[in-house]
Amino acid sequence: MEYHTFSELRESYAFILPLMIFILIFVLLPVLGTFINSFFRDISFMQRKFILFENYKQLFNDSDFYGAIRFTILFILVSVPLEIILGLIFALILNEAVPFRGFLRACVLLPWAIPSAISGRLWELIFNYNYGLANFLCIKLGISTGPINWLGSSLGAFLGIVIADVWKTTPFVTIILLAGLSSIPIELYSQAKVDGSNFLQRFHKVTMPLLKPVLIVALLFRTIDALRIFDLVYVLTHGGPGGATTSLSLYSYRYFLAGDFGYGSAISVVLFVIAFILSVVYIKLGRFAELGT
Amino acid sequence: MYRESLILIISFFAVSFAGCRGTGDAVTFAVGGAPNEIEFWEKLVNEFTRQTGIKVIILRQPTDTDQRRQGLVISLKAGKSDPDVFLMDVAWVAQFGASEWLEPLDDYIKKENLNLDDFFNIVNLVDRYKDRLIALPVYIDAGILYYRKDLLKKYGYSEPPETWGEFVDCALKIQKSMRKIKPNFYGFLWQGAQYEGLVCNWLEFAASNGGGIILKEGKIKLNLPSNVKALQFMFDLIHTYKISPPNTFTEMKEEEVRISFQRGDALFERNWPYAWALHQSEDSYVKGKVDIAPLPHFASGKSVSTLGGWHIGISKYSDAKSKAFKFLKFVVSYTTQKKLALKLGWNPGRKDVYNDQEVLERLPHLAKLKSVFENALPRPNLPYYTQISQVLQHYINAALSGKLTPEVALSRAEKEAQNVIKRYERK
Repeated sequence: MEYHTFSELRESYAFILPLMIFILIFVLLPVLGTFINSFFRDISFMQRKFILFENYKQLFNDSDFYGAIRFTILFILVSVPLEIILGLIFALILNEAVPFRGFLRACVLLPWAIPSAISGRLWELIFNYNYGLANFLCIKLGISTGPINWLGSSLGAFLGIVIADVWKTTPFVTIILLAGLSSIPIELYSQAKVDGSNFLQRFHKVTMPLLKPVLIVALLFRTIDALRIFDLVYVLTHGGPGGATTSLSLYSYRYFLAGDFGYGSAISVVLFVIAFILSVVYIKLGRFAELGT
Repeated sequence: MYRESLILIISFFAVSFAGCRGTGDAVTFAVGGAPNEIEFWEKLVNEFTRQTGIKVIILRQPTDTDQRRQGLVISLKAGKSDPDVFLMDVAWVAQFGASEWLEPLDDYIKKENLNLDDFFNIVNLVDRYKDRLIALPVYIDAGILYYRKDLLKKYGYSEPPETWGEFVDCALKIQKSMRKIKPNFYGFLWQGAQYEGLVCNWLEFAASNGGGIILKEGKIKLNLPSNVKALQFMFDLIHTYKISPPNTFTEMKEEEVRISFQRGDALFERNWPYAWALHQSEDSYVKGKVDIAPLPHFASGKSVSTLGGWHIGISKYSDAKSKAFKFLKFVVSYTTQKKLALKLGWNPGRKDVYNDQEVLERLPHLAKLKSVFENALPRPNLPYYTQISQVLQHYINAALSGKLTPEVALSRAEKEAQNVIKRYERK
């Protein structure tokens, strides 16, 4: 245990104070405001009124809300594992001394550098029925005889969004894991080789345990991010067909546009609670508390 | 160290809030749209400043309707003094009015001697909230049928079909023939993606069969035989007759429909009047080959067009209301409205411009549109119309995709719309 002098302590608090104030104003207060608002009938064209759990009661009877939860959770369950697995594979490859490594690393990053709204438009064009690349290739390669309406079924629209998201965010996972991989001391591998281990054993016994904290961080970021999915859906499918791809944040946004801020807040609070629970689970999994000691 | 960081924080906030100065006595006008529209407004604003000496600052908004609305909702909800004056889609006027975000215009109108009879009757249908006038129409939209007059003539039709039955026969026949030359040719393009435009299209089909959205004493009726039949017909256009493309319910919005038709890929198109000028542009394949007509109807009904368009209003929180009204009056004046028609090809909200010789000479189709506008059907004038529309969009789109049968879709939509009403009609 170390002891700090009072002035040392004061100084360290002074350093984190600006950040704390920033978080207080731009994170905590809005979250608190949303919480409070969710207990009100806050509709632009009606008298503001305290209604306690009325918004939530209605929410839990709202079939579209369950639809949005179902889509959002399915989206996380499918897209995040794909991104983690692909990201891990790319990171492992790029961590080896492959030719043109620098160039390849830059290439892998490219999709991540494109704003989601723009990559959404990009994929919209790829999936376009009349002049999209996907249909062009399918017809040219003889996979199908006529154009396919890719985003026309619930499953198609769902997969379209998953593909676009995996394409965009796998680089993010790659970068984080790459950083984790490069921090593993090379000696451990040499030693493992001396002990006669094969590649799989080294991956299982050396890489994975040491990569785990970083992996959990990547998982955490990706899960929370996927939970909030908005831009891609907004651009690519607008929540259709028949509401099949309406995410929680898109659903909340619609109420906001229509002037029903109370109900929109209640949806956001649910989103927040899910994100909070997931974060706690991940942090417990990663045992971050032990990392400091 | 402690002091330094405090100074840093204070200066940070000083800088952040310095950006929030008022705009003094200039009028701020929020408007979005395509680049040529913005250019038009900029010229107009300069003209206004030359005439009156009042400065107007344009707050440029995006083109997307939802984003334009979002920008306004944020400012108005926060009670900001800017923008002073702005354009609204007809579908939000009731929400903005009921939220008391709009300055009543009655007194200004009296003082400035503006004659409301010069405008279409829609002023009385959608621009009033609780008897107070809160907005005025800048331009009007209504769904119309565009058709290839060259193809109709070639296949022996002298007039476009009037009933949906004749319409399908005609489209099937010509599509079959045209496919030999153009494999991607379709009989009929319309807006079926899950968005507001779908509700407008559905309303036209349904109302042309004597159906629609029936609202009476807080009860909504959607699951009517006439509506089911109309929705089934929309489904059939795509999946049974196949005269509308399979991407109708996923991708087809105004621009997708317009571009496809303009490339010569279709016989009929349902669109708003804005497409007219673009179809007649130099690089358009269908230039000189298009004409317009009222939308077809079911044998027992009559042709119906959904009312669209944009309206101008003044913010309740404006700090320059009387100047803002002068600008509003300028925008809806005869001269400006005529310019709007001639320069942008928009349809003026003023009736009297439709009798203007010069306008009729250069835009002869406006003569046909006048009667369509006079009879256009407004969407329900409710502050919570958006929520009703969300329900409709969702279920109509689900029916078009084949996920639900028209009957199930409409009965679920009715139930959910009823919940929406229950929620927002409480005191």
